[in-house]
Amino acid sequence: MHPDAAKRLALGYARAPMPRARSPRQRLSRRSFIRRLTFLGGGVVLLGPLACKRSSEEAPKPATDPGPLGTAPGGQHHRTFSSFELAVVTAATERILPRDEDPGALDADVPVYIDRILQTPEMKPMRDDFLEGLAALERRSQRMFQKGFSAITPAQQDELLTLFKDSPPQSGEAHFLELLTVLTLEGFLGDPSYGGNKGKVGWRLMGFDAVGTIAMAPPEGYDGPKCLRECGVHK
Amino acid sequence: MSLPEVDICIIGSGAGGAPMALELGRAGFKVVVLEKGPHYRPQDFVHDEILNSRRNFFMPLPWEEPHLLRKGAKGKYERSSAAWTANCVGGGTVHMSGFFYRLKPVDFRLRSTLGAVAGSTIADWPISYEDLAPFYDKAEQELGVSGQAVAHPFAEPRSAPYPLPPLDVHPVAGEIDKACKGMGWHSLPTARGIISRPYKGRAPCAYCALCGSYGCEMGAKSGTNASLIPAAVATGNVQVRPGCMARTVEVDKKGRARSVIYLDADGVTQEQPAKVIVVSCTAVESARLLLNSTSSRFASGLANGSGLVGKNLIFSSFGESQATFRLSKQAEKRPWLKDPGPFVNRSIQDFYLMPDERFGFRKGGTMGFMWAHPNPIHAATGLAGSGSSAVFGKELKDRMRAYRDSRILLFEVYGEFLPTPGSYVGVESAVKDKHGIPVAAITVERHPTDLVATRFLVERGEEVLLRLEPDELKRTTTAGETTILQHGTCRFGDDAATSVLDRNCRAHEVPNLYVVDGSFMPTGGSVPSTLTIAANSFRVASHLVRTLKQGVASGG
Repeated sequence: MHPDAAKRLALGYARAPMPRARSPRQRLSRRSFIRRLTFLGGGVVLLGPLACKRSSEEAPKPATDPGPLGTAPGGQHHRTFSSFELAVVTAATERILPRDEDPGALDADVPVYIDRILQTPEMKPMRDDFLEGLAALERRSQRMFQKGFSAITPAQQDELLTLFKDSPPQSGEAHFLELLTVLTLEGFLGDPSYGGNKGKVGWRLMGFDAVGTIAMAPPEGYDGPKCLRECGVHK
Repeated sequence: MSLPEVDICIIGSGAGGAPMALELGRAGFKVVVLEKGPHYRPQDFVHDEILNSRRNFFMPLPWEEPHLLRKGAKGKYERSSAAWTANCVGGGTVHMSGFFYRLKPVDFRLRSTLGAVAGSTIADWPISYEDLAPFYDKAEQELGVSGQAVAHPFAEPRSAPYPLPPLDVHPVAGEIDKACKGMGWHSLPTARGIISRPYKGRAPCAYCALCGSYGCEMGAKSGTNASLIPAAVATGNVQVRPGCMARTVEVDKKGRARSVIYLDADGVTQEQPAKVIVVSCTAVESARLLLNSTSSRFASGLANGSGLVGKNLIFSSFGESQATFRLSKQAEKRPWLKDPGPFVNRSIQDFYLMPDERFGFRKGGTMGFMWAHPNPIHAATGLAGSGSSAVFGKELKDRMRAYRDSRILLFEVYGEFLPTPGSYVGVESAVKDKHGIPVAAITVERHPTDLVATRFLVERGEEVLLRLEPDELKRTTTAGETTILQHGTCRFGDDAATSVLDRNCRAHEVPNLYVVDGSFMPTGGSVPSTLTIAANSFRVASHLVRTLKQGVASGG
């Protein structure tokens, strides 16, 4: 067992449903998939047991790289999001962790992290959910404010995100908000080789200094995403 | 196509499988170990929280290889990755924290001690603590355990000191000692499966704080990947095959186990025949494998004529409270709060067995004290909360800044988890994993006494924390389960009508089939069970080596 009190199952919050065929759209609007997997050091794993129909029938296909979809203001190429989607992600993550006297999501390159991590082939279920959630956020913004999410004021953005957060626990809106929060925190606090936590600003904010001091830092040139793709393959 | 027959085929390389591989290899038998996960090397263990703790480095993804979980038979199954331990060579011993307690004599005769417990299927073990004690010694020696035995009312007898002296502890351990003394309780050093000195060619612990949930790049953590497996391979008789997922165990016409059908690392189906087959995939996964191994002779699963495979599932009762010390307020008075030492290593077992029922239970358990795990993403997602009570924006950042100013001391409870007729593992043929194999379906129905006992233990632990005068005390839960500690699905016993395995962990119904993970345990005890599983596996190996040698000697 592990000090993290993780990996215990909190039976009783019935969230992830049994698999059942349904369209992706229905999936998002009807159910929330993310859950606290309470495992290991992990705690919340992003991963929703989205499950549905993703086992043997639909083995993950190796990702084919379509090339960059655009270029972010910082000059980085992005691959998951269109430039338009990236603007929404940037605005939304900055509301999760806004810059104040300490750096915020954008300072840590959180959108770059999310764009890259959603390219992991095993994360396809999450990528689909995230993109749908983003579209839902944008639609709601248009309806409420007649403007896109990235164009409304920070106060309006917070109002909209709060609305998503307070949606019924099994709704797609609540699921998206949790996914957004978890991915933002991963991008803020993960190993910098994933593209976020630029200059280790996230670790500084949390006072986390174990890696590279008492705990050995990853080797020079360490590439987390590459290890994630290849973990356990020693050929 | 069938591979050449070997003497022993072991499925799983963790606390159960590895001792068997080592002892049988030493005795000169040809052994193949099938392990579903990869074989990581020390250099693969990097301090990357995303890789280690948040993706499928150790645990399968719930949409690729789910467990189905429900609360009670009327509940609805959810897909989850709960009740998996690490999928890699070494199994759960790779990412464990290595709290290496022994069971106590009472754990072997709980039914006799408590009498019948309404609503529970508890049973005595067919062996005693004294039968297992020499193998505890052996397991501690082979794996490498650091600790210090002290006298206390529930101290189990031991023949010798621990092989290694205790690890250095944080100064807070002394504060816990004082608090316990003030209450007349015993603050016990927690033995760890982590080596404090160089041992058998392995380097000692470097006191990095990232231990549990990570693999150890030093090889100081006594996972079987660092200790028993390399020793087994060095005998020249043991071959470890990583990436091999067992699908079924096949039987011959006489009803003896004949071979293991598995998918190799390239996804090709292979058949490995063996004279003896040893299953050790965790209590949940071993039950799944046997239940999926149907034949005309064993229509409801291998060795399951009794219908007991998968029944009597036992996890460990979990409770926890956390004490937060704000450095800005306390550091002057208590400079030791800033000490970076990762280990607290203190336990309380004064309430292991209560003399009477006055508190509503008799079998209690253990509280283990430790610092909160420093994984920052894990901490921050906890601070953000979930659902409508979740926070974001300034409130979240304020909480993160407050966290920076904190040290969090906690204890977790390892409480008795009484077996009930409502807690069991089955297979769900309609839900298959990415290999097309029906998945394990877990149903849990807790015994109400567990919750009474766990709450009591949490309250006692909180008394200790309060004596340390923290700035905050927060109760995590009094009603949880630790699902990586799993037992009971193939309980052992002398009566074939009420048990799956005999006292040597051989299946009553299949004379050359053994199960050596936590499945054999009819009660789980009130401590983490890793060391017990390893000790029992050494015991079974000793029996099996003797049996096989006699067989050879008598030409049988």
